Order: sequence, then C-alpha cells, then structure tokens
Amino acid sequence: MALPRLTGALRSFSNVTKHEDYSEELADLTTKRSKLHAQLLKSDLTWKKIIKFVDDNLDKKEYQTVNGDLKTILQAAKQIVGAENGQEAIESGAVFLFKTFHGKECVGHDETKVIKQMFGPFPSSSATAACSATSRIASHFTEEQLTALIQLAEEQNGDNRVLFGKNIVFSFDMHDLDHSEELPVNGETDVQKSISLDY
Amino acid sequence: MPALPLDELQLTERDPKTGKLRTLPALHPEIKADRSFVLYKPPPAIRDPSLVEEFLERAKFIADDLNWLLALPHDKFWCQVIFDESLQKCLDSYLRSAPRKFDVLWDCHPEVQELQKCLHRSVFLTFLRMSTHKESKDHFITPSVFGKIIYNNFLFDIPKILDLCVLFGKGNGLLLQKMIGNIFTQQPSYFSDLDETLPTILQVFNNILHKCGLQCEGASAEPQKLEEKVSVTAGNMPLQELKDIVLYLCDTCTTLWAFLDVFPLACQTFQKHEFCYRLASFYELAIPELESAIKKRHYEDNSVFADLWRRISHSRKKMIEVFHILVNQVCLQPILESSCENIQPFIEEFLQIFTSVLQERRFLRDYDELFPVEDDVSLLQQASSALDETRTAYILQAVESAWEGVDRKKGQAIKAPA
Repeated sequence: MALPRLTGALRSFSNVTKHEDYSEELADLTTKRSKLHAQLLKSDLTWKKIIKFVDDNLDKKEYQTVNGDLKTILQAAKQIVGAENGQEAIESGAVFLFKTFHGKECVGHDETKVIKQMFGPFPSSSATAACSATSRIASHFTEEQLTALIQLAEEQNGDNRVLFGKNIVFSFDMHDLDHSEELPVNGETDVQKSISLDY
Repeated sequence: MPALPLDELQLTERDPKTGKLRTLPALHPEIKADRSFVLYKPPPAIRDPSLVEEFLERAKFIADDLNWLLALPHDKFWCQVIFDESLQKCLDSYLRSAPRKFDVLWDCHPEVQELQKCLHRSVFLTFLRMSTHKESKDHFITPSVFGKIIYNNFLFDIPKILDLCVLFGKGNGLLLQKMIGNIFTQQPSYFSDLDETLPTILQVFNNILHKCGLQCEGASAEPQKLEEKVSVTAGNMPLQELKDIVLYLCDTCTTLWAFLDVFPLACQTFQKHEFCYRLASFYELAIPELESAIKKRHYEDNSVFADLWRRISHSRKKMIEVFHILVNQVCLQPILESSCENIQPFIEEFLQIFTSVLQERRFLRDYDELFPVEDDVSLLQQASSALDETRTAYILQAVESAWEGVDRKKGQAIKAPA
C-alpha cells in the first residue's frame, strides 16, 4: 500500500499537475519485453554475419569444428526463444546468446539475469550449452577480432556514447529522521491542564 | 557562425516512408524513439523472491532506459523528454514512490539496494538535464521557450519539485538549488502554481486535525446531527490509523522543510497565505494531542512507541524550522540586507507574525527553545531606532509567560541545528 504523502495529496487535489491515468500501464512489463525482442531483430549484428565472420577468418578444417558449435548455439536459442516464434526470432536470439557469452567461461548470475529479462524463464541446460559453444568458438579468434564483431551490435545501441552528468559528483545521502533521544516525556502540559477547585 | 537554439533548429532528413528529403523542426514528435519506459514500483517490503525478482526486472529496465536517454545527443534527448509520455510517467512514478530514508525501514536485498542506488542517480541526472536550458555553447534552448516547454508539458510541476527536494536535497542541495532556481526564473508561472497549491497544503493540516477529532479553522459551519457526534480522537483511534497520521505528518513536515531549505524564495508565496500563523495554530492543536495519544496507548511492541515518538518529535522540529525559515526569509534577511529607510515594512511583518502566534503557548515555547525570540528582537533593535518598544516588550513578555510553570531545561526537547 502506498505511504501517505503530502505530494500525493497535492497530485490528487490541486490543479497544478497533469492527472495521469496509470491503469493502462498494468501490462507495461509485457509491452517492454516485446519491444526488446523487436529491437533485437533490428540489430546490425545478424546470425548470418556471425557465420560469415567465422567463414572468412577460419580455414576449412577449423570451420567444420566451429560449425557444430554454431549449430549448438542455434539449437539453444530455439529452446530459449521458443520454436513457435520463427526462424528470424531464433537467429536473433542466437546472436543475443553469442553476444552475452563471448568472453565468459560459465553462465553466471549476471548472464542468467540478462537472458531472463529478455526471454523470461528458460532451461538452464540450454544456456550452459550455448555458453560452452560460444567459448569454444571464441578460442579460435583474437580479442580484437571479436570486439570488432560485437561492436556492430553495440554501435547501434549507443553503448559508446558519453552519458550526461558522467562527471557530476552525486551524493546518495538523504533526509532522515532527526535524532531526539533527549525528548522529555511530555509531563509539563499535563500539569498545566489540571484545574484547581480550591476556591 | 553562431549555433542556433534547438527550438529554431531545422533538420533535413530522408522520409523513411517516401524516401524523399524533408525538413523537420529539431523538436518534433517523429524524432522520438519508440522505447516504452515502464513504471517504477518501490522495493518490496519483504524478501519475497518473486517480488524481489519483479522489482529487479522493472528497475533494470528503467536504469538501462535512463542511461540510454542520458547518452542521447541534446536534440534527441529533448524530443524524447517532450514527446514520450511513457518516460514522463516513469519519472513521475519514481518521484511518487521512491522510498524516503525516513519511511518505515525495509529489509532490502543487497542487489535491490544496489540497483535502487543506480536508479536514484540516473533519475536525478535526468531531472538535472531537464532543468538545464544551456548544456554547452552549441547546445541550448532559448530561455523563454525552455520555460514554456517544461511548464506546458508538465516536465516539472509543484509536487514533482517538492519530491525532488525531499529525495535529493540532503546530499545534492547546491545542484538542486540551481535547478529549481532556474526553473522558477525561466517560468514564473510556477510561482502562481505554488500560490494555487498553498490552500491544498493547508487543507492537509486541516485534514490531520479533523482525523484527530480536533476542531479546525474553516470547518463546516453546518449544524451537526446529534447522532453524528464525533467520537474518534487521536487517543482512541485504531493504532494503524494513528501510525498513518504520524507518517503523514512526518512526510508533510519534512517535504515542506526540504523544499523551503532548497528554495527559500518560495517563502513570500507561503506567507501570502499567513502560513506562519496557520502553522503555529496547527502545531498548538495537533502536537499535544498526538503526543498524548502516543504516550497513553498500550503497545505490545515497544519499538512502535519509540518509532512514533521519534516521528512526532522530528515533525515538531521540522515545523519549527519551517517557521524559522519563513521568518528569516520574509523579515530578517531583508532587514540585514536593506538600507535603514527600507526596513520598516519587514519589521512590521515580523511584529505581526509574532503577534499573531502569541496565543499558541506551546508552539512559542518550543520555537523560543530552538530559535530564541529575544535574539531576533535584539537584531531589530539594532537595525531600527524607531522600533515600537511597547510591541516588542509585549511579544517578549508573552514568550516569557509561555514558559511559566515549565522548567526550561526540561523543555529542551529539540536541539538547535548545527
């Protein structure tokens, strides 16, 4: 339950605010998730580009080994995204897994959270398989090569831009209750209220 | 060539539908990105894993989206801020429901705390950027247009400004002073809004009195039916109701104080509504009643008593400090800063304020304890040789008489701020 607040009363009873209707926002998390999926589909880094990158940079023998791992990632994506969402969604899911797991040795807490936020609950075995496969693929490339590949996705997301206020010193200190240990137990007022009948 | 303000800037771009080149104002709804900000909900009161998980998901979305927003170039940032309703609702929901430090203590998961801190900073930086009309030499908005943009789109309103002060005023007071100062300077209509808000603030005091079964000014003049006799008082109401009233009072006093502390220029508007007098008479009625109700009640858990007592004491102190900020800003500062010829109206205002509260003995005593009235009167005596000594003597005598029967040392309820 919302705590009673002065500004709550001002929002409700004064005419100086925009009276917002928040009822339609009940499903905002669902809307947000689908928006993220849509964004993922628009990413500059596609599954085809990953395959081409592997093809361009490895010899035939190496490629055959890596190809199995690429299939593993795609299969994991199918299980995490859901086969019913179509090939395009599965491939963008595979890109997402590749991006999430490159440079990671195992599925950690952060990775689990990121995947869950994007796709909801998922089978952990699929994530583990995708992580191992990504790790094996990555071992064939230098860090620079992988960074250049991943950058394709990040540039679009604006991850490299400078944040406004980056250098502003921000304090987390907040107004708290004042200390008042010395408060008397309010005896004096009771004394004053007593009425004398001694005329 | 000097850079144009954002509000005069035109962009030429290819229409995504027709492929033809077109010219658009830099501030145009079509430039806004389709982002869908989610609403903020406060951390769960208990460590329920599913509630924690929902909080984390929601908060992470907001934190990511705000970081994305803060990284946008100047023109895109303003298009998003003006035209994205979901962003405005998200920011408003944070201000409404973000936990204040003086709220009831919650047992928060460390991960929740960490994310909450990230969010807190990002929200502040977003409001900071929104209150800055000149970001750099090349990125700025015409001040008058900026004033219209923030006002007409409700980017800032009085409740939001009050929330900002209570949430960020302690550690970021100087920045906040600049932000709010700039908002009111570029858009003086906020002073009118504040003026319009004051009756609602006073109504909050009246509502508290009414809930405590105390008569308040402006109460209905209609005769009351006998069977409708009010029987609920602070002393006999259910404990939960008493807790709510004390929480409400505590929030109200702290928020008002935080606002006036950051933006003392608002004091004139407050005093237009005789705020000092209204505050003192509210104090006189509500505080003894609530203190007595808190003391006399039987508690199964003594920590509830301690918490209520601490809150009511805090509220008392904040009310007295609000009164002092008002007196200081409306009367004392102008006297200290003005030349001798101009100080008479401020002295008169001081005398009137104190004359109006002389009957509020408990308030007067508590105020005098924290801010001795004698010191202020002495300042007036030094500033003006033509001071009406009869009136000042009358005020000082009334203050002295308010102390009658009370041991001053025992009355040292609240310590003066450093």
